[in-house]
Amino acid sequence: MTLWEFLSDRLDRILIQAVCAAAAAFFLRATGTQSGVLAVLLLALLLVFAGAQLADFLRQRARLRELEAILEGLDQKYLFAECVPTPRSLYERRLFELTRRAGRDMTGAVSDARAAQREYREYVEGWVHEIKTPITAARLICQKLDGDTRRRLICELDQVQAHVERALFYARAESPERDCVIRQTQLSQLVAQAVGEHRALLIQSGVRVETDGLDRSVYTDGKWAAFILGQLLQNAARYRGPEPVVTISARPLGKQVQLTVADNGLGIPAQELPRVFDRGFTGSNGRARGGSTGIGLYLCKKLAVFLELGLEVTSEEGRGTTVTLTFPAKEAL
Amino acid sequence: MDKIIIIEDDPAIREELALLLENEGYQATAVTDFSDVPRQVLAAAPGLILLDLGLPGRDGMSLCLDIRKVSRTPIIFVTSRDSASDELRALSLGGDDYITKPYNIPVLLARIRAVLRRAGGPAESDTLEAEGLTLHLTRGTVSAGGGSAELTRNELKILAHLMAHAGQIVSRADLIDALWDSQIYIDDNTLSVNMTRLRAKLEEIGLPGFIKTRRGMGYQL
Repeated sequence: MTLWEFLSDRLDRILIQAVCAAAAAFFLRATGTQSGVLAVLLLALLLVFAGAQLADFLRQRARLRELEAILEGLDQKYLFAECVPTPRSLYERRLFELTRRAGRDMTGAVSDARAAQREYREYVEGWVHEIKTPITAARLICQKLDGDTRRRLICELDQVQAHVERALFYARAESPERDCVIRQTQLSQLVAQAVGEHRALLIQSGVRVETDGLDRSVYTDGKWAAFILGQLLQNAARYRGPEPVVTISARPLGKQVQLTVADNGLGIPAQELPRVFDRGFTGSNGRARGGSTGIGLYLCKKLAVFLELGLEVTSEEGRGTTVTLTFPAKEAL
Repeated sequence: MDKIIIIEDDPAIREELALLLENEGYQATAVTDFSDVPRQVLAAAPGLILLDLGLPGRDGMSLCLDIRKVSRTPIIFVTSRDSASDELRALSLGGDDYITKPYNIPVLLARIRAVLRRAGGPAESDTLEAEGLTLHLTRGTVSAGGGSAELTRNELKILAHLMAHAGQIVSRADLIDALWDSQIYIDDNTLSVNMTRLRAKLEEIGLPGFIKTRRGMGYQL
């Protein structure tokens, strides 16, 4: 708050006081007060009045600064009204009482919403846990079928499982710190896990997977990194061209390690590229093909940010897409 | 023949898993009464235990501790709990491996084999023989009569799979599946190329037509 803002806020009061002073001066002058006495009187009045305004201004400014500092220091800003020292003036006390009542209502609403979100997350996690048993049983039953039917059913079961995994990671991404464990992880193992989880889809799509330079280790949460890789592999299989090849290669970049997943598929139009990590964005390929949710890459980005992985995508329409994952140096973690 | 005991509360999984393991040449038994499991394990004297974590009445973790008190039998946890902390805890309690449901059947079988091998089961043979042909797996060579030829990794895996199923018809899809198990991620075309090369090498050592093509079905030795 500047002095100017303060004064213009009080303009009405100042004007009334000026009018009163002028009326008093006119009255005194008319009743014969000498002009010298009048001038001294008006000067004294001006000084007292200006001093009072200045004192008011300084007090208000100090008070506002104090309140701002309290707000800055709070983690949960909506608790502000609860943390303010009781004001001295009656008016301010009443105002804060009102704010506090509104705040309490909001605190209740916030904690209700939090509890509901937590319960929902727990429900989704429990549900995912439960659904895994029948999927496992179905997989085992599939073994009895003959080759082609078995392969097609397993492919469908893989799809079900991929959707379930996404739901689980979506729920987990809300509070990732709960299940994240950073360990030394072999890239070859990570890739084998991701490829293994989606092998039916990849084989069915006729994808050849080439690997290079994966005899390296990184520090990350293996399960989450494998999930991200899995999403990329699913996209490569889904948006494939003729004779699809996915190349997974790693190379050191200073103390970091770069893992590249490159395909020779449909590619992403340049104008859509900046939005591929947006939640619910499906793109023209996704819409043309159907069955795209716009969740996979969004989740990848979210998890990558938490794992401090660099995640970049380049693409050329009709030539393919390359996604680069940059694993942080050990020292950075 | 290794005996595997299944401790799992879901009846469908229990029965199907037992059937699968029997078909793979193991002797499988399932625990159906979850009181005093350690005693049952001791009585059955299995070569391997497949243990679920969420069992009725008690947790698989504490069960593992109790089994460890009386037996050194390898334990593989098979569970739908997939948090890293559960896995760490299970392995530190004396589990030998930790597999999450829903598992890929080939992956499950491979890990069962690996744990049994580590536990000092009968070593798998280094050579395969079929129809007068000998395949040396670690050296990567094939020999018949006087001649021998060196094989690439892909050719070796293809021939090994065919020899393991000698006499049966093996479809192209089965072959690709088997190669993917060994982390050779090839497509149909690459399989054709490798098959042609493999046949040429077999012809050189005097075995033309060793691998027969069964039109529309696959290959057969």
